[in-house]
Amino acid sequence: MQTEKTKFENLEKWEGMLAKCIRCGYCYEHCPMFKYTRWESDAPRAKNILAHGLLTGEVELTPAVAEKSFNCFFCKRCEAACSSGVKITDIMLDLRRDLVKLGYNGPGTTSITDRSCARCLQCVRACPHDAREFIDGEGIVVDPVKCKSCGICVEICPIEAITIPLSFGTDKVELEQRAVEFLHSRESAKVIMYACNWSYHPDIQNSRLPESELEEKEYEILVNLCGGRIDQNLLLTPFLNQAWGVLVGVCPDGECNHDGNEAAKKRVKRMKETLENLDINPDRIHLVQIPAGDKQLCQAEIDTFMEKINQMGPIR
Amino acid sequence: MNTVDIPRLREIVGEKNIKTDPLDLYAYGADASVYHASPWVIVRPDNTGQVQKLMAYANDAKIPVVPRGGGSGMCGQTVAIQGGILLDMKNMNRILEINMPDVYCRVEPGVVDDDLNAALKPYGVFYPPTPASSRIATIGGEIGNNASGVRSVKYGATRDAVMGMKVVLANGDLVTLGAHTRVEASGYQLHKLIVGSEGTLGVVVEAIIGFVPIPEFRCLGVANFDTLRDAGNAIADIMASGTIPSMLELVDDVAIKAVNKTMNLGLKEVAASLLFEADGKVMEAVEYEVQKMKEICEKNNGADLWYSFDAKEREQIFMGRKKLFPALSQFDTSMASTSLADDMAVPYSKMADMAAKIHEAAEKNGIVMTAYGHCGSGCMHTKIMMDTSKKEQWAGAKRAIAEIYEYVNSIHGTTSAEHGIGISKADAFRTEKMDSLKMMAAVKAALDPNNILNPGKLQQAPEDWVTATDLRYAVNS
Ligand SMILES: Cc1cc2nc3c(=O)[nH]c(=O)nc-3n(C[C@H](O)[C@H](O)[C@H](O)COP(=O)(O)OP(=O)(O)OC[C@H]3O[C@@H](n4cnc5c(N)ncnc54)[C@H](O)[C@@H]3O)c2cc1C
Ligand code: SF4
Ligand code: SF4
Ligand code: SF4
Repeated sequence: MQTEKTKFENLEKWEGMLAKCIRCGYCYEHCPMFKYTRWESDAPRAKNILAHGLLTGEVELTPAVAEKSFNCFFCKRCEAACSSGVKITDIMLDLRRDLVKLGYNGPGTTSITDRSCARCLQCVRACPHDAREFIDGEGIVVDPVKCKSCGICVEICPIEAITIPLSFGTDKVELEQRAVEFLHSRESAKVIMYACNWSYHPDIQNSRLPESELEEKEYEILVNLCGGRIDQNLLLTPFLNQAWGVLVGVCPDGECNHDGNEAAKKRVKRMKETLENLDINPDRIHLVQIPAGDKQLCQAEIDTFMEKINQMGPIR
Repeated sequence: MNTVDIPRLREIVGEKNIKTDPLDLYAYGADASVYHASPWVIVRPDNTGQVQKLMAYANDAKIPVVPRGGGSGMCGQTVAIQGGILLDMKNMNRILEINMPDVYCRVEPGVVDDDLNAALKPYGVFYPPTPASSRIATIGGEIGNNASGVRSVKYGATRDAVMGMKVVLANGDLVTLGAHTRVEASGYQLHKLIVGSEGTLGVVVEAIIGFVPIPEFRCLGVANFDTLRDAGNAIADIMASGTIPSMLELVDDVAIKAVNKTMNLGLKEVAASLLFEADGKVMEAVEYEVQKMKEICEKNNGADLWYSFDAKEREQIFMGRKKLFPALSQFDTSMASTSLADDMAVPYSKMADMAAKIHEAAEKNGIVMTAYGHCGSGCMHTKIMMDTSKKEQWAGAKRAIAEIYEYVNSIHGTTSAEHGIGISKADAFRTEKMDSLKMMAAVKAALDPNNILNPGKLQQAPEDWVTATDLRYAVNS
């Protein structure tokens, strides 16, 4: 066991905390990765179990284990749900530090830059976590410990050279697809809400409702992780597919870990201008700011917006 | 050891519903118990037909199958002690029907309790057995463990709510049990037998469960006591008085301290607190019940009496209770909170003695234990807090647990009120059920002749619970 511990010199200090994790599983309920793949091994509890296994030597360090350890969007929903106070993301970060030293670099959910990069360095300036650096001879290098997978660099890159290889359904192409699918799935479909994963939307989490309950469904909540990832296409696509309105949910001022809410505000504002130019009521797109954990407020905002949209009727 | 024909499993559930990487197997080797053992393969069926085919295959090949819902069981129920196929039921998660006129709903086993209640809420009804783990517990797992919760004192446990079900047997046959009606008089009530069978008799693929109206008024009261005995007497008096609490919860000093530490609720750190609640459609009637419970507490030296109808105030107190179990993890930096001897039930009049016995056994054996629980149903919860890295602490825990169950047995209590038996409580279970072990073995042999369904659990579990599998903790010295 000694050798395993020396190997993981940053992780080692969490051994006691890993024993305190009671493995109740409360943390996986809202984890976007679990919600997407529905495999427990993609959920935060499994991360703790694997970290324990690495420390004791029961789990062999393979590229697959390393890759898994680089998967996380740092929404910290797991930590909010865990009242054993397990510092899940801190543990993961220390594991990442060790893995980097051992020659693993992810990428998992961290961003990568492909060779078409034009070296404009906009992403380096935009990254809220100082994770991107330009190194002569190497180009843009991403620090997989610092990168918090917010996706802001992906949005800002003018030539789309940046990707997050493992998106867990939060990739904008997939989001657009799901928006379109919903809007064409039933007559009642009117609104798409893009919610960041911090705003605890009041949706059914991990079960499926009976078809009869969904026939009259008017809106769909799509989790896009961070408001900073929203771009014009994402906002426009629903309108091109018969949507009556689009709602964007982000964190309150000063509460977003990535300042993604500020970026979202700008994009929504621009979208309002576009709608006005097209002679469409700009109130059909609306941004709400919801503190983490406030399901009630989120539902109330949705209800108010739906009422307004229903008064406006479809776009003619 | 029989080997699994992975290509055959792939054929049944498809490539995307099977996992064989050691890292996945290891991650699925745990639940909320002290155990760990990796299965050989994880399979995630999407429908009943697939479950039937999987069972028929496993039965022929004599490979163990462990059904798993949320994996939140606390006694090792879903730890694959003999390896085999881990059947992850979380993809069969459709709420199939909400039938208001006939007052039932039909659900697949992977439906999460909180989700079901969110879906029922617009109809003004709720599914009442709800354990504290409702955010991840699935209906299948609740059936497996016969889960119950804080409101079971009034509304009953899972067994009371289940009206019928569809079950895939060990050989792959599909059977429909129970009825779509509230009552059913004759026969063996086989659906009720499946409830609490911990995945050892069949795989539930659909359940018909009843629900009840959400009460218009809830009123929650709190009373503090300087001794556990006074609190225990208050419980017995309340239950004997004919009052109908919708919740009656005891928390001891250890538990109060832990909740204060994690949740900052500012609860007074006394020897014991009682939470009592009544609910109903008529405010005066609800207040009458609460008032009566309050008076009984007062008579038994209860202090700081307080009650409220206000949802926010109630929620704050109730959250403390709901998060109690995980909060115990933070009791002391060098100790972890383990699920052991965690949920015995004893006659009401013995609650105080039981709590005293728990504290005594803990002290004697160098560990910390807390006593709390759904006292309205006679259920006492405990947690053992200890330094899990030390061998001698495990030895102490083992001695304390043996003493505690001996006492439970002597006062005609039962080993498990809600979390089930699994591996950790099998020893005490065998002693308690001495007279019916043969009957249980006969039922098991009749339904599962090859012993493939969750083998090594309940009466089949190893004698020594400490060495039954690897412990999930790093035990160093
Ligand atoms: C923090 C915490 C608090 C808890 N509080 C309570 C509480 O208040 N009350 C309570 O009763 N329990 C409680 N539990 C224990 C546990 O969460 C519940 O018993 C819960 O019902 C288990 O559900 P699950 O979906 O996680 O089941 P699992 O743990 O996955 O499975 C439980 C059993 O059911 C079997 N099973 C699962 N699905 C099926 C199926 N489809 N067919 C046949 N068998 C199946 C499994 O084989 C296993 O034996 C708590 C657990 C934790 C960690
Ligand atoms: S990290 Fe917290 S919420 Fe997750 S399993 Fe461990 S104790 Fe439970
Ligand atoms: S921080 Fe978010 S994405 Fe990461 S493990 Fe926790 S819940 Fe999942
Ligand atoms: S902007 Fe976000 S996703 Fe891009 S490198 Fe920085 S932290 Fe990572």
